[in-house]
Amino acid sequence: MINTDQKILKANRLSKNYGAIQALNEVDFEVGSGELCGLIGPNGSGKTTFFDCCTGLVPLDSGMVMLEGQEITHWPLHRIAREGKVLRSFQKNVVFGSMTVEDNLTLAGQMHIFPNILSTFLHGLTTRNRLKSLQLRAAELLDLVGLSHMRSVKASELSVGQQKLLQFAAVLMPSPRLVLLDEPLAGVNPVMIENLSTSIQQANKEFGTGFVIIEHKIDVIMEICPRIVVFNIGRKIADGSPAEILRNQEVVEAYLGV
Amino acid sequence: MNDLIIQQIANGIIIGFAYAMASVGLTMIFGVLRAINFAHGEYFMCGAFASWAVIHYFQLPYIISIPVSIIISAGIAVIISRIVMEPLVDAPFSTAVLATLGVYLILQNTTRLLFGGTYKFFSGGWLEMLTIMGVTIIEQRMVLIIITVAIFLFLEWMIRRTRIGKAMRAVAQNHEACIIVGINIELVTRFTFCLGVLLAALAGVLMSPIIVTIYPTMGEGMTFKAFAITVIGGMGNVRGTFLSAIFIGIVECFVAGFLGLQFREAVGFVALIIVLMWRPYGLFTLKGRF
Amino acid sequence: MKLSQIFRSKTGNRHMQFKMGIISSMLFIASLLLLPLLGNKYHLHIAILSMIYIYPALGLNLIFGYTGMLSLAQGAFFGVGAYTTALLAIHYGWPFWLTFVSSGVFCAVISLLLAIPALRLRSYSFVMCTLGLVVIGEAVSKNWVSLTRGDMGISGVPRPVLSLWGPGFVVSQVVHYYYFVLMFAILGVFLFYWVVSSPAGRCMRAIRDEETLAESQGVYVWAYKLNIFALSAIYAGLGGSIYVLYMTIVSPLIFQMYHTLLFLIIVFAGGAGTVGGVVLGAFLFVAIPETLRITPDLRMIIYGLLFIFLAFRMPNGLGPFLVRIGESFFSSQPKR
Repeated sequence: MINTDQKILKANRLSKNYGAIQALNEVDFEVGSGELCGLIGPNGSGKTTFFDCCTGLVPLDSGMVMLEGQEITHWPLHRIAREGKVLRSFQKNVVFGSMTVEDNLTLAGQMHIFPNILSTFLHGLTTRNRLKSLQLRAAELLDLVGLSHMRSVKASELSVGQQKLLQFAAVLMPSPRLVLLDEPLAGVNPVMIENLSTSIQQANKEFGTGFVIIEHKIDVIMEICPRIVVFNIGRKIADGSPAEILRNQEVVEAYLGV
Repeated sequence: MNDLIIQQIANGIIIGFAYAMASVGLTMIFGVLRAINFAHGEYFMCGAFASWAVIHYFQLPYIISIPVSIIISAGIAVIISRIVMEPLVDAPFSTAVLATLGVYLILQNTTRLLFGGTYKFFSGGWLEMLTIMGVTIIEQRMVLIIITVAIFLFLEWMIRRTRIGKAMRAVAQNHEACIIVGINIELVTRFTFCLGVLLAALAGVLMSPIIVTIYPTMGEGMTFKAFAITVIGGMGNVRGTFLSAIFIGIVECFVAGFLGLQFREAVGFVALIIVLMWRPYGLFTLKGRF
Repeated sequence: MKLSQIFRSKTGNRHMQFKMGIISSMLFIASLLLLPLLGNKYHLHIAILSMIYIYPALGLNLIFGYTGMLSLAQGAFFGVGAYTTALLAIHYGWPFWLTFVSSGVFCAVISLLLAIPALRLRSYSFVMCTLGLVVIGEAVSKNWVSLTRGDMGISGVPRPVLSLWGPGFVVSQVVHYYYFVLMFAILGVFLFYWVVSSPAGRCMRAIRDEETLAESQGVYVWAYKLNIFALSAIYAGLGGSIYVLYMTIVSPLIFQMYHTLLFLIIVFAGGAGTVGGVVLGAFLFVAIPETLRITPDLRMIIYGLLFIFLAFRMPNGLGPFLVRIGESFFSSQPKR
């Protein structure tokens, strides 16, 4: 099937409830190639759940998710990840603490290079070549986020901000077409915010990677992203440029809780 | 045939009561500490041995040995709580496994060192026959039944109505919230642990006249049984533990009666594995913790 | 280099650690090869036991030290492996290498069957379930008398015969057994190192550190856990096989808690998640108690105290501690 669709990720009428709470209510969402899109909304509006459902971490109640024209609605998390096309980061500061920065990145990139589980158990020329290409990519990304000098440090010894940068670099390792960032700037000092914002924009420009960014720091997001989507109580209530969003009455009410 | 079945069920229920009292501490300490206590059965053994030692070395009557055994067990409980259990608050899972294994080794082998590894004959207990409603049982079993029922009613009341019970439930749910609200997690842990140890020791004392021979490694078997009982009943769930203990007691008696005594020890774990395959979260966890 | 600097230096130079590892391994193997010249039969016997126990210890190290799953099933597969080899050798007269491999294969099959439901369990239920396997193993070996001869056990397991053709060489003297088992130990450790230093080893550590993150990066966690569970069972089973080839008898006693506890202390005290630490631990915790000649009760009490001490003070075991000492020994420059 030839994919003439420009959209990388297409979510159709996604619904998910947790018992009495309707986390997602018939949400439609499309992201095109190379887009920088901000996803904002009050707490509990379903933003993270949306990421969870699109990437296979959490099963959907109803709806459909398409990745470059292929339906991935019921695919498990690792399978979607292995496609290497859409990846996500987490709100929590997660890194592989016992491994070095370099190893963290190698792992992030290796599952897309090794065709099956058995091949990961082997050593040998092919394996070594694959690992070499990963090292080059890792070096490139460490440069991008400014962590090159920390490459042999154990991830558990990094500061919180540095771990955030590491998570960011890790998610870019397989050169995905779209990255879902979940609150990448939370709990980070202003200098680091600058770093991350620059890195995001740079990655978008240099690698053509699209981003959907959940954030509460609305001023930063409005600056970086030409497109903003707003969620409220599990529904999408607005989708447009930052200027349009600011003028949208429903958005204002959602945030003010009127 | 029917009589035999009813007899086995009755036996099973009585044994189950003892198991319930011996196991409830394990489930409570798990609820509060999220730690598996590999040494739990040793407290059962300690209760039995303390009582035996009092009778054997000091020639005191059984009824005196009960409170003495409780006091000794309480002493052991407080020491272990300070050194091992309280430091386990918020510790990783494997730390608890290691540390409580250490306690298990120390308790079991100290008992061995002190009293020797051979079987001991337990001479105390109320062994007169009692006939109630046409059923004949030993007085000891009656005592066991009454005390167990009283204890569990007490636990129900304590957990639901008293401040300490609420504190236990709070600690089981959310440590951070407890700190904010001002609940002393270490104290609650100490209380829960000591209570559990005392109940296990009491079960040991009350069971000894029934099982007649005691030996230093009897705690191990009880630990294994307690594991099975608490996981089946739902970790942290006191009511669930009570019900699953009776279930295990009955199954054990049936297996011992119809298949042979030698299979008795494996019953707990076979039941555990079967239940876990069917319901990975235990049979009663739906009712929630405590 | 100051003592305090040894304790503080955490970041390792990987290249230097590798060289250090090679050198110390060579030295260690060399000294093992020379041991028969220096020690008597008793020393060799202790060393043989240590090298046998390396197998189940490595299995535990693999599943817990590297993958983060606490499984106590090593004791069960150790016993199953032993019984498998004993029965096949006695009833069918199979040569040692065939019974050895069969033990591994049989344990692999059983472990896979058990793992599929067991992996659904939460960590504490998983621990108890795996412990249950040991208890059940003991019950089966005691009660399936027609197969296992119950409490009497199986004796008279034929000694291994090394032959390419013709009658061959029967391994019967302690010295011969020593080199026989040493060969297996070296192979086992080498294979272990191969696995944990492969990309799969990285996946294992990722699963241990942050399972969901690993899965979100494409690691098929469930499949890896299955493989690791089987691999650790194979190691334990192979260890059991060598055990019975050496002892020539096996009984339900092989399922006792003593073995499970021994494997635990070797891995935890030796250094979960390291290779050298566990190897060293195997020798330390078999040899030292034997040579000290303390009563078993006192020995277990000391182990108990050791467990408690390690749990709180050195949860990573002695391994990393020794690595740091070695690093300070090998490097001339002060650490960053």
